[in-house]
Amino acid sequence: MKKKYAKLIVPNDNVVTSVADIDENDVFNVIIGDREKTFASNHNVPFGHKIAIQEIKKGGEIVKYGHVIGIASIDIKVGDWVHIHNVMDNYEVR
Amino acid sequence: MEFYGFPRPDGQYGARNFVALMPIVGCVNAVALHIEKLIRGTRSITHHQGCLHPPLDTEQVTRTLVNLGKNPNCAAVLLIGLGCEMVKLEEVLEGIRESKKPVEAVMVHELGGMLETVSKGAQMAADMVLEASKIRREKTGLNNLVFCTKCGSSDTTSGLSSNLVVGEVCRMLTEIGGTFIQGEVCDIMGGEYALKELCVNPEEGDKIVGFVKDLYERGLAVGADTRGCQMTAGNVAGGLTTLVEKALGANAKGQMVPIQSALLYGERPGGPGRHIMATPGHGFENLTGGAAGGAQLILFTTGRGAPNGHPVIPAVKVCGNAKTNLTMGSHIDIDVSSVIEEAESIQQAGQRLFELAVDVASGRLTKAEILNFDSQMEILIKGPVM
Repeated sequence: MKKKYAKLIVPNDNVVTSVADIDENDVFNVIIGDREKTFASNHNVPFGHKIAIQEIKKGGEIVKYGHVIGIASIDIKVGDWVHIHNVMDNYEVR
Repeated sequence: MEFYGFPRPDGQYGARNFVALMPIVGCVNAVALHIEKLIRGTRSITHHQGCLHPPLDTEQVTRTLVNLGKNPNCAAVLLIGLGCEMVKLEEVLEGIRESKKPVEAVMVHELGGMLETVSKGAQMAADMVLEASKIRREKTGLNNLVFCTKCGSSDTTSGLSSNLVVGEVCRMLTEIGGTFIQGEVCDIMGGEYALKELCVNPEEGDKIVGFVKDLYERGLAVGADTRGCQMTAGNVAGGLTTLVEKALGANAKGQMVPIQSALLYGERPGGPGRHIMATPGHGFENLTGGAAGGAQLILFTTGRGAPNGHPVIPAVKVCGNAKTNLTMGSHIDIDVSSVIEEAESIQQAGQRLFELAVDVASGRLTKAEILNFDSQMEILIKGPVM
């Protein structure tokens, strides 16, 4: 079966972006530097959506592109789909 | 990689070599269009501004016209005025003359009508084209390249591939002394503090934050929260969760390259490196901003397939969506979908794009040019239309 990948954009990001339609319990690969690491998905994650590759506690920062893109609204486990159901937008124009 | 450009008297090198027919007010666009049909080697640079502006827009339109005229792709400029407009012909003429390229002007009220102006202007343009045709491309350093960038008809692949690949070109170009201009304040919104961190001078970072605040406040003035306007249902369905995430994906067109300055709309950068210009996301005004900034071409990323080019600068369409590359291939110049499938690294795809961009700067045509899909442009105004 063709390997499914999720893309890590910056090394310290704690979420990756799926570049395949990943189903619940699917194993997917992430290229980290010159290594390839395997994770299991806890949910159905469509192409372009995010998956946590680190545990993120409620109130913790969601990091993508090396920057905080939002705050976890509930505890997020490794392999969880990360989207509007578990992320708060904390952006204000200052 | 070797860049062959048309040498200009001010030391810039053009990627193209046409005589620009530039109305200083939209009322005389027809004159430019008639001359363009008559005389080979001319390009009309029509727009709808130049009159009934508050002073800040008269200034912005004047600055943009001057700097468009100075763009190295224009071998010479024929200005066309009506005679009663707010933008002053003398100011535009004197401004472009600083570049020492040939620049002339015709005025419709003075010559007594369109036919008289077309006749006189066409004769002048013909002489200018003959002189321009004598200029030969010369080999010059890649440090003389100025690229601008924009994304249009974006989708989730933009932030995962094409924008990152353009960011790699930004890194390579600026490392060898070239210039890179990025903008799209609406897309910066949410990512302004990330960009500020990259500014070599914090004051320039404050200006970028100010661009976003200005857009936000102008939105509020007409009852719109521009933060909400930016996140579409399609974005959320595609996997984008927050505005900050969307902005960072758009900002990736410059990667982590340090930012030298924040530019006004249509302003020329004072030196090489990466710069952020206060351009809108809307393509017609956006590309004009980059062209006025002195870019020879634009690296235009797209997900679903944006076909438009620009009359002054070629647009290199970069697409990371494998499906769009098949369905809209006649509008795409380079396919970088391999990056998504991990079949090619961002560095490798960046190298391919850089080589293509240098070829385009040296004469290779883009799809938008071949299809004549590049005749329209606009100049950004900020205030009310009176």
